[in-house]
Amino acid sequence: MQNWLFTRARQALMAALGAIVATSLLMPMGAHAATPPGCAALQAKYPDLKGKTLVNAINPHTPGYEAIDPKDPSKYVGFDIDLGEAIGDCLGFKLTYKPVTFAALLTTLASGQADIVISDIYATKERAKAADFITYSKVFDGVLVAKGNPKGIHGIDLTMCGAAAAENTGFVEVPLVQDLGPKCKAEGKPEPTLQLYDNNANCIQAILAGRADTYVNDVNTVDQAVKANPDKLEKAIAVTIPYSVGIAVPKTKPEFRAAVMAALIEVQKAGTHMELLKKWELDVNNFKEPDILTAD
Amino acid sequence: MSLFLHYFSLPYLLVGIELTLQVTALGLIGGLILGLILAWMQLSRFPLLAAIARGYTVIFRGTPLILQMVFAYDALPHIGIKLPAIMAAGLALACNEAPFIAEMLRAGVLGVDRGQILAGQALGMTPSVLLRRIIAPQAIRTMIPAFGNESVSALKNSSLASVIAVEELTLRSTQLASSTFDFFSIFFASGLLYLLLTGAVSAIQLGFEWLLDLDRTTRERKLADYLPWRRVDLATKLELAANTAPALDVAPAELAEIPPLALRRKDRAKRAAVIARNNVAVEVKDLRKDYGAQRVLNGLDMTVRVGEVLALLGPSGSGKSTLLRCINHLEDWDSGTLRVGGRRLGFHDDGKRLTPRAVANERASVGVGMVFQQFNLFSHLTARENVAGPLRWVHGMTRIDADRRANELLERVGLSHRANALPRHLSGGQQQRVAIARALAPNPSVLLLDEPTSALDPELVNEVLEVIRRLAIDDGLTMIISTHQIRFADEVADRVAFLSQGAIIEEGAAHEVLTNPRHPLTARFLSRMEADKTPAVETVR
Repeated sequence: MQNWLFTRARQALMAALGAIVATSLLMPMGAHAATPPGCAALQAKYPDLKGKTLVNAINPHTPGYEAIDPKDPSKYVGFDIDLGEAIGDCLGFKLTYKPVTFAALLTTLASGQADIVISDIYATKERAKAADFITYSKVFDGVLVAKGNPKGIHGIDLTMCGAAAAENTGFVEVPLVQDLGPKCKAEGKPEPTLQLYDNNANCIQAILAGRADTYVNDVNTVDQAVKANPDKLEKAIAVTIPYSVGIAVPKTKPEFRAAVMAALIEVQKAGTHMELLKKWELDVNNFKEPDILTAD
Repeated sequence: MSLFLHYFSLPYLLVGIELTLQVTALGLIGGLILGLILAWMQLSRFPLLAAIARGYTVIFRGTPLILQMVFAYDALPHIGIKLPAIMAAGLALACNEAPFIAEMLRAGVLGVDRGQILAGQALGMTPSVLLRRIIAPQAIRTMIPAFGNESVSALKNSSLASVIAVEELTLRSTQLASSTFDFFSIFFASGLLYLLLTGAVSAIQLGFEWLLDLDRTTRERKLADYLPWRRVDLATKLELAANTAPALDVAPAELAEIPPLALRRKDRAKRAAVIARNNVAVEVKDLRKDYGAQRVLNGLDMTVRVGEVLALLGPSGSGKSTLLRCINHLEDWDSGTLRVGGRRLGFHDDGKRLTPRAVANERASVGVGMVFQQFNLFSHLTARENVAGPLRWVHGMTRIDADRRANELLERVGLSHRANALPRHLSGGQQQRVAIARALAPNPSVLLLDEPTSALDPELVNEVLEVIRRLAIDDGLTMIISTHQIRFADEVADRVAFLSQGAIIEEGAAHEVLTNPRHPLTARFLSRMEADKTPAVETVR
């Protein structure tokens, strides 16, 4: 923590210096004015990243955050994609994408097949054993149910007893639903059943096909699903979950972690983060100043 | 529908096909190479290699492909091997396909008739020639359907590469479904694309089957016969056989015109005197062999001189066939020595065992021909190729010379008109005559005949015996014949040896032993044979 504060103080100084240099340099170019002023200093501080192309592992099944562009399927688009590119832009690296299942995001990172994960992944202590996180967004979950909410589900609580919940393998909601089992039993109600799928689309299909009663996930994803099937689905309620969304970086690269963190701060300071939330029609309440989450 | 067509022709999905095909190709080619190695290891003479291959098979056939994919992609980097996703998928698929392909190869090899392999060995083919010329062509033919299956399954299995970020058809379809919510149109489109791919594999398979069909060369066969809804039925097959087999076989008639060649008593005595002065062709001393607890050869001694015809008689299981196979070293024995033309076939001078390759070369140079009870013709080769092929592959003859020699020999056994027929379109008697021509082609110093007429229908026996009779009398060929034809033995053989329980219990000049056996077992055997068959020994001589 001390280290981090120190870095921040130094960054402020460097940013001030850098801002003068950068503005004078960038002014004539106009088009690149979007790069926050503090970034030049960061690029000087982390010269190793400049000019590199890094691999970003994503689970591109979350329209709004990361999914392929329906108009041009060769591109990935979404809030996370833009945010990652803003950070890359700040530090001088480019990103390519590696689409994997949600459960494989962190293993792909740990095996070195990817350098960074920016894919709407919730930072938990458990996951921090596999990677370090730089948190950037608060979490609001939505409860997706069939139109009219026939089972009357209102969250991961006793209303879910006896229902079939669809979830993605590796999602934080999975243990929450599992923990609900004993509580239901204590109330003399049947336990909820859990269906594990590979991606959002399959979870949503499970509800459309009548196999599952509910799917609890990020509220934006739920909203998108309702928007695509307004006469068949609805959002029962939004619930708060005590996690933050984080950018995952390898545990073995503290320097890279610091660089990404610093760049994120620059991007936020420049107002880009907020702009992107609006661009992708996400709730601005999601905004969160960055923190670091590690296993220890 | 329009959405379906839109996705069906979407370049994004079509590029996915390319990746699907790349992963499949890597898996199949790698699997074939690995599978060849595995099959070779399992079929090798060395138990350790076979055990290693077995272990590999147990592991890679016994674990799911999806785990292997993840392992190749996520675990290998931890030991410093970081393959690109497509290579990792190809590697996992290859490792997974290999044991299946190896088992296919093994089944194909083991499915080749054991008798043909024996025949090839007897002709002096080295293991590699045998593999290339006899085993592979037949095995590959039988393996094509299985290989077609395997290709289709590899193609479908390549979709599992989606778990390790290879953007093949399945992964692209799921991503597209996630971002557009057009779940069903997309999956119908990609399902149809998969169907087209697997359909193409089936077409290729049928094409290969047609190309390698042996009957294609003997009779025009329409490609349409191979279409799934038009299976060749039994009637067509019968018609096929009728078209290829001539109604009348002229050969026996030709042979019958030749006057009986049996020797008179006076000639026999003269012949015996000449033979007695000749060199020893085959010498067997104290030969012993056990099959497990059962003793097959029990201290057998035997000498055959150049130009001599020896008939081996005795009940089934008395060791006749085993003895003949030992002479050619197609089988090992436990103790005793065996010399052909003064050489110990299969051993160095110091008694050390030769490699299979060296034994093969020695067989070819010493020249021991062999004719089998079941003919053992190479079923994928025409009559002419059965004779000419070994001459080229073993004795290095040119195609022209080999064909000339084959035509000559086929004419001698009265089959020049059937030179282009496949063995399965020949009668048993014709097949055996081709087999004799094949054995004679390299000019062997000794010809071994293992019950050459036992598998024939009674009416076909004579045409074969006639050919052998002429070899003995016209050519003066050294022959050892195991037979149940007493009359034939009397006519053709100089000597007979009577085997019982792996040893010779009586031997001597053919006519004497057969008409006046001294050992009670011989007498009993002969009287039983006479009772069973037509009156045997005639009194002319």
